[in-house]
Amino acid sequence: MGARAVRLRGFEVARGARESVEKPTGGGASVATEPAPLAFTRDLSVGYGGPAVIVDVTFNISPGDRIGLLGPNGGGKSTLLRALLGDLAPSGGVINIDASVAALPQTERSRLDYPVSALDVALMGTLSRLPWWRRPGRAERRQALDALATVGLGDLALRTFGELSGGQRQRVLIARALVQDARLLLLDEPFSGLDAQTSERLMTLLDELASQGCGVIVATHDVEQVQRWDLVLCLNHHQIAFGPPATTLTSKVLEATYGGSIVTVPGDGDGPSRVILPPHHHDHG
Amino acid sequence: MLEPFTLPFVQRALIEVLILAVGAGLLGTWIVLRGIAFYAHGVGTASFPGLVLAEGLGFAAALGALGTAGIFAIGVTALHGRRRTGYDSLTALVLVGCLAIGVILASDVFRSGASIETLLFGSLLLISWQDVAIAAAATVCAVAGSLVLGHRWMAAGFDPESATALGLRSKVPEFVLLALIALATVSALSAVGALLATALFVVPAATTRLWTSRMRSWQISTVALVAVEATAGLWLSVKTDAPPGATIGVLAGVVFAAAALTRALPNQLRRHAPVAASLALLAIVGIGCGSSDAGSNAAASGSAAPIVVVAATTQIGDLVTVVGGSEVKASTILKPNSDPHDYEPRPSDVQATADAKLVFVNGDNLDAWMEKIVNESGSDAKTIDLSLGLPVKLPGESEGAGASKFDPHWWHDPTNAEAAVLEIRDSLVAVDPSAKSSFDANADAYLRKLAVLKASITACIEKIPSADRKLVTDHDAFNYFATAFGIELIGAIIPSQATQAAPSAGDLAQLSKLIESENVKAVFPESSLSPKLADAIAQQTGATSKYTLYADTLGAAGSTATTYLTMMAANADAVVRGLSGGRQSCSIAGL
Repeated sequence: MGARAVRLRGFEVARGARESVEKPTGGGASVATEPAPLAFTRDLSVGYGGPAVIVDVTFNISPGDRIGLLGPNGGGKSTLLRALLGDLAPSGGVINIDASVAALPQTERSRLDYPVSALDVALMGTLSRLPWWRRPGRAERRQALDALATVGLGDLALRTFGELSGGQRQRVLIARALVQDARLLLLDEPFSGLDAQTSERLMTLLDELASQGCGVIVATHDVEQVQRWDLVLCLNHHQIAFGPPATTLTSKVLEATYGGSIVTVPGDGDGPSRVILPPHHHDHG
Repeated sequence: MLEPFTLPFVQRALIEVLILAVGAGLLGTWIVLRGIAFYAHGVGTASFPGLVLAEGLGFAAALGALGTAGIFAIGVTALHGRRRTGYDSLTALVLVGCLAIGVILASDVFRSGASIETLLFGSLLLISWQDVAIAAAATVCAVAGSLVLGHRWMAAGFDPESATALGLRSKVPEFVLLALIALATVSALSAVGALLATALFVVPAATTRLWTSRMRSWQISTVALVAVEATAGLWLSVKTDAPPGATIGVLAGVVFAAAALTRALPNQLRRHAPVAASLALLAIVGIGCGSSDAGSNAAASGSAAPIVVVAATTQIGDLVTVVGGSEVKASTILKPNSDPHDYEPRPSDVQATADAKLVFVNGDNLDAWMEKIVNESGSDAKTIDLSLGLPVKLPGESEGAGASKFDPHWWHDPTNAEAAVLEIRDSLVAVDPSAKSSFDANADAYLRKLAVLKASITACIEKIPSADRKLVTDHDAFNYFATAFGIELIGAIIPSQATQAAPSAGDLAQLSKLIESENVKAVFPESSLSPKLADAIAQQTGATSKYTLYADTLGAAGSTATTYLTMMAANADAVVRGLSGGRQSCSIAGL
């Protein structure tokens, strides 16, 4: 498979992916027919200078993969995302990133105050391509506006970021990731505070990106939602499990992930049971 | 109403603040956005060691300040790169280091003179064209930096965790931001000083932040607000004769409070905000016009008959008033009990100097700032340095290129006061020979009182057993007094003629030992300094610290030491009471 140029409604979102990356699971032999992973980790541990916050994390993400990152608050989800972003260096193991990475941070209070427009935020995505002494010019502006149009916010480009709705803010951040040519998207609790309809719209957008060859990792505490993703990574200071939700999300794994008692509701058919956490786990703000 | 702006030194101040407004307003928004107000505040104060070095080694103060500020910016950036500590704690860390180095340099390496601290306090009224040029350069750099790097500064603050992924790996833009703030703060040092720079850089940006939601409009409105506040503050300061830096600071604070209050009001009341703002503006104009117009008053009296004379210090002011009598209109720059180090001249001081025919200064570096007032006011007055023609001169304690060779506290010996009176008389006669007889008579009468003073103090001190005539004071200001009246000077708590130097623990321990072994009965705090150190030493050694001396200025109105004669008598009385354990006193009649 040669260098891919993936287009999302006329917008180029991916550069060529190198093929010669060693596959982590291939036992040394690389399989040429499968796409090279966007990123993989081997026995990764990460900390903030003191003891490691997460240990023994081993997974890989290939183009088109949508991974749900499941774990309790304080279980290390955000730490893993920051390591993938390059913001935290690993304290042990291997982390290999072979794609441009973009993060969609939680839009908490401090960012709502920020005096920027949707266009300003999208423009931030162009900075990685410019040397530090160059300011974004006309071409970059065009690109940012295109990306905003792609996520359906073309007419709100000049609106203040903090005045947009939660779903719109997430889409602005996705537009920024598009401008960045990011092929690996990291989302930290993107659905918290969104109503069902807005969540659905965001989900569709992410599905579309994945079908174009992007990898998507979504940190969440919502077990029900994770069922929709291709893969799930359960994390509670160490990696509990990694695999397709259908086979991975057993009540044993969930108990290990969340510690406490799990309420299990029998599912229909022979798939996994629907699992609902005790209510206090949903109090996440 | 606009006549303050016809004064040349006010015009130059206006140009300076309008140039500063652009840089300060622009950088102010970045400072507030990125939450680095403490850094902006610290970088000006941190220039202290640079100023000490500049004075000690004899190069330009601006260069010293700029150098230290640059090192400060590099230090904070470097530490920030290593670990993810916030700028606030890093600023505190580096600031403490800078200040500590500054104090050590000032106390132990250079034994600096008193002129350094003045550099940390600026004055808008004493701006030179060189200051204006530095401000212009800083402003141009701020505008250019903001245009080129603004997007990166914004992205780094919006989403610091994604900085690496966003391609903000380079530390250069962050360093440039800190360096530009350092440059701008140092360029504002001569105008408003390190402590009030925040009034230009942070407060207006915080005010307009309440009303704007976009960077561009925020920056434009901040620049406009700084310009308006600075202009209004300058105008108000001339009208009310208040120090301009402080006036601008108060105005900025009031505007911020009003803006914040208006924000908190319910909507239907907020509609009246423009009306309230207009009323407030009217009130400011009212205050300005209602108060005496310092500038024009002084200008008007300049054409009247009396000779306009300016004296730098309170004691010289008293001597000039006595000798000049009704033929002279004397203004004194320093006010009683004010430490000369943190004095910001008022518009009337500068105007009086501009109109003056004669300026009398103490000399020996005690009032080096007076030279600047004379220069920047555009005065063509003749400056008389009274320290030059004195019969008694004692060596100075300061070291370094800018330090004085002689101890500047010469007036504590009445013999020197006599010489100063003669010098003042002759200078006045040279300006107005027609009043010679009056000046001669005034001087003769005063010389007789000085003779009485000298004889009486000598008599009082002689009553104290010579073994008890041992003096410990706050700082080295009483060499002349001790020498004139046969008192042995054991030591000073601050081992320097500069008040900002700090004694080491070793110095204090040595002094305490000395006080005990020499059986010293009293240590004397000074009226314009904190008595804490003297009290502590006294408590430790059993000496008393009850009696206060007037070291650098006369006493304030209402005290017993409002004139040179009564000040000297008060000091003699305090010394006699202290050294005799309160059993004797010294009251001198006929002054």
